[in-house]
Amino acid sequence: MQTEGLIFLLIALTIALIALLVARPGLTATSGGKIMAFLVLFGLPLLCLGLGFSAQMQNSKSTRFCLSCHIMEPYGQSLHIDDPGHLAAAHFQNHRVPPDEACYTCHTSYAMFGGLKAKLGGLRHIYVYYLGNPPKPADIKLYEPYHNRECLHCHAGARSFEEGATHNADPALLADIKSNKTSCLGCHQPVHDVATLGEQKFWKGAK
Amino acid sequence: MLKANPLERRLQIAGVILILGLVVEGLTLLSHGAVGFLVFTGLAGSLILLGVLLYLLALVRSESLEKKP
Repeated sequence: MQTEGLIFLLIALTIALIALLVARPGLTATSGGKIMAFLVLFGLPLLCLGLGFSAQMQNSKSTRFCLSCHIMEPYGQSLHIDDPGHLAAAHFQNHRVPPDEACYTCHTSYAMFGGLKAKLGGLRHIYVYYLGNPPKPADIKLYEPYHNRECLHCHAGARSFEEGATHNADPALLADIKSNKTSCLGCHQPVHDVATLGEQKFWKGAK
Repeated sequence: MLKANPLERRLQIAGVILILGLVVEGLTLLSHGAVGFLVFTGLAGSLILLGVLLYLLALVRSESLEKKP
């Protein structure tokens, strides 16, 4: 928010300086005026654009941004299901993921260029939502099967994961999970059970 | 409001377009949804880049006019 305040201030300053040049273009006749015109009509607008783009990119990670499309609303509701067996809800409600970046934290790829890939995927979502033929919320599928790497980004090395009784019941299981041969989601279900939202109880949130 | 001097007129047009782009950018920063992002990239970005481009073109054209005998 503080960064956005600074960007607003910079935008206001730039607008004021441009307005001065528009009102009194004769200022650019001197060499000092030419330098000022270069800063005001070239440097500052591009700086504002770059900072604005950076702020928009940061904002695009937020849960609020993802849920701003109506089609995603059921997925947002599924984060409030009052049942610890629901994977996404348990992660969201217990702050295992930052609540204000819940979608991005689990749905980005923690591989090289993962953040870029996630943002390109987001652009594709926006395109389909506004210009394509969006599916019903319950019919939305991931582009590719969920990779254990995203879970292991946080859980690898954690005692509850490494020493958990179920994970060690079969000696090969832990290695299979780590190599993505056995999916975490094979056992940890449901994730976003949007089809049964009407039958669920919902957590009201922290007071 | 617009001056007769071609260079100054071009600078004024570039300035007005830049102001429009910056106002749109400011408004999109208040929005936290996907629509704000689209308007930022589609409209604000285009206007600002167009304004900068017009400013640079104005400089180049004024240089070429000055060099003509």
